[in-house]
Amino acid sequence: MNFLYFDPGLGAMLVQAVVAVAAGVLLFSKNAMYKLKSFLGLTKDEDGYDSIDVDEEDTDESNDKNE
Amino acid sequence: MTKTNNIHEASFRDPSGFMFHDGDTLRRVIKPIYFPQYKKLSESGIFKTLIKNGLLISHQETSVSEEKIVITPEKIPFITNPYEWGFEQYKQAALLTLKIQKYALSKGFILKDASAYNVTFHKGKPIFIDTLSFDFYEEGTPWRAYKQFITHFLGPLVLAKYHGNEVFNMMQSFIDGIPVKMIASMLPRRSKLSSVLYPNIHLLAKMESKHNDDYKGETKISKLSKKAQNNIISSLYNYIQKLSLKEESEWGEYYSKTNYNKDAFETKKNLIREWVTPLNPEKLIDIGGNDGTFARTVQDIVQHVIVTDIDSNAVDYNFKQVLRNKEENMLPFVCDVLQPAPGIGFNNTERSSLIKRLQEYAPDVTMALALIHHITLSGNVPFEKSAEFFAKFSNNLIIEFPTRADSWVESLLIRKREFINHFEFYNKTNFENGYSTYFDLVKKEKVAGTKRILYLFKNKTYGS
Repeated sequence: MNFLYFDPGLGAMLVQAVVAVAAGVLLFSKNAMYKLKSFLGLTKDEDGYDSIDVDEEDTDESNDKNE
Repeated sequence: MTKTNNIHEASFRDPSGFMFHDGDTLRRVIKPIYFPQYKKLSESGIFKTLIKNGLLISHQETSVSEEKIVITPEKIPFITNPYEWGFEQYKQAALLTLKIQKYALSKGFILKDASAYNVTFHKGKPIFIDTLSFDFYEEGTPWRAYKQFITHFLGPLVLAKYHGNEVFNMMQSFIDGIPVKMIASMLPRRSKLSSVLYPNIHLLAKMESKHNDDYKGETKISKLSKKAQNNIISSLYNYIQKLSLKEESEWGEYYSKTNYNKDAFETKKNLIREWVTPLNPEKLIDIGGNDGTFARTVQDIVQHVIVTDIDSNAVDYNFKQVLRNKEENMLPFVCDVLQPAPGIGFNNTERSSLIKRLQEYAPDVTMALALIHHITLSGNVPFEKSAEFFAKFSNNLIIEFPTRADSWVESLLIRKREFINHFEFYNKTNFENGYSTYFDLVKKEKVAGTKRILYLFKNKTYGS
């Protein structure tokens, strides 16, 4: 089902293929740099921002499994 | 049966449902077309996880029938809009949106829109308020709200980086985000070298104008894997996380530049606390309240405190304190008293004007400290007019009047040069007379160690 109530823009839909490639390269190199830096002991803590990942540990869903 | 004829003015675009006023309570109707999504989101625990993590506003199911489901979201005392946010607030709102999109994607959902109006600030944090923004993810489809994310979030943030926080005011003119072409044109040429800005803005602008005219559904939309979409989201997240204002000024020196000493500063704080306490306020607004220093003197005895300032750096500084100290009852935002946010969008009512929102908020106490000389002398606003402004939404008004002997008033007057004689009216008597049109004087007191007088006024017609 499609509830699109605004125009997503055809160009915007197409460009994502290219954006994703650029993003992939960037993330890969960032990761590689991070690994290299931590190998050399140069890493430092990120500045106060949350990570992008949502913490799911404390939800009832996982509690149910434990019971 | 709850009545649903009082539809919220901002809630007509999404066919999945709408918000309505049921007396003082805001509720949301979900239409049958959205039942499958809603049920899956509720049953799979997605809503629960998002709410528990403080990312999505919580809601209660009020009624369920075959024609509609009614939910009642947690009440938010005051809604701020993107053009009233400081840089840090805007940034956090963008990160929240990406975070939710990434989580949704991992659970087989997407955000079907990425409007900045889906986010507001509540309990000291950004929060997603559009519970119906989720839709099923279809394998291989690109993110439909991608362009909206760029025009509502990435674009304004990057423009602010180069041109300053005032860029967010553009959101007042473009309710659906700043056009991509305009964002691209306002960026410096070297931004084309950025591996994030080139594809996400410049290339997007090019592709959009290329495909603008020939859209008959002929061009085939290419597939995009979930992994690829995740990469886009993560790289935008990393980029925005590192964004900072280029012209970030050294803030925090303001109070060291005050024209009175530390003792006077403390006296003023004590006086304010002494006056506010017996008023027993639930809601207080400090207009021109800088980084919230004076509002914080009464924060523990007031349930909800709003601090506005024209200086977005001060607002940012305040917001950072809110985050650091996890202050749940402090809401900072940017506001130019001489030009408060108007009502915008369809019918001019989609996003309410600042004054309308303040009237609905109905603060018990309004504070305006070291503000009147700016309104009167920089803005050339007569006393009676500024009194009219405050009277529109204030019950008790605590206002500080710096006399002509105050060094800041002196310097503002000197800047008037040959027109200095036009400002003879700036004195205590005229101030009191102007305000007496709308307010009764309750008390006044000279702030010891300064050339300023503190007034407490009571609105003559408030609530009648």
